Amino acid sequence: MNADAHRAKAEAIERSLAKCTPADYETVIEACMLAGTHWFNLALHAAKLLPVDHDAMHAEFLTLGQRRKIACVLPAALTALDTIESLRTPYVRGDLPGGAQAAERTLECLAELKRAAMHSDTERSTPSRSA
Amino acid sequence: MKIASHLEKFRRLDATLERLDPGSDQELWIWTAMNAGVHLLNAALHACGATTESDSFHSQVEGLYAVPNRTSGTLHDAMHAPGDVMHAGQPPLVAPLRPGIERASLALRTIEDLRERFVRGSERADASLQRDWRAAYATCIQELRAVLDTGGNER
Repeated sequence: MNADAHRAKAEAIERSLAKCTPADYETVIEACMLAGTHWFNLALHAAKLLPVDHDAMHAEFLTLGQRRKIACVLPAALTALDTIESLRTPYVRGDLPGGAQAAERTLECLAELKRAAMHSDTERSTPSRSA
Repeated sequence: MKIASHLEKFRRLDATLERLDPGSDQELWIWTAMNAGVHLLNAALHACGATTESDSFHSQVEGLYAVPNRTSGTLHDAMHAPGDVMHAGQPPLVAPLRPGIERASLALRTIEDLRERFVRGSERADASLQRDWRAAYATCIQELRAVLDTGGNER
């Protein structure tokens, strides 16, 4: 999926996320995972770490080699998506106490993923503008 | 997870779903309907004895569970017989399922199968498809509630 499509999907999910409250913490966490993964893929494509015809589904399932490259180029984005994914089992599928706080944490991670995507996309497009 | 926890999560997710629209909130509607359905499915499977009600959570890896230490709040990995399912048929269950659960699983799978095209992909649903999705969710919930209302003894 290309950058414009990832951006459109991420922004659509964020608009839906705005309808949720902290009490909807399972849905907030899942929305952050879904939107965050689109921002993550936008960043990966912009940094040429993954081709546009190959999207990452979950950071957890990337190969060790892919993870090492991403950790080198986009460490904050990888950490942010890992964090979101790690909160799904205990708070979406599981019932550990503190779901609202976990959801707050995923919102911070989503913001980090969006920042990384915007930055990578700007870096990618800058040389072509000056050419 | 325990039946009571699945039911609590189902009620919360179902209430959230009421505020979402399958058209304008396509991605989150699909995902929330799926999660609500999976929690109610797990409650019904536990209630009828097809799976075990245990204090463990299904991880992102099929058949791998996270077991909480309720004192420290930490988790450790464990592999054991289901347990919760992650999705309809994942992990596969050995025992034949009751007809109501089969019908619910079929409806739930309809929603789960939307993820690739409509959540991760760029397809948009028209009004007719959105009606089909609502109908699949309603069927899933109705069938599972019938199982739970009879204490898992539905035929």
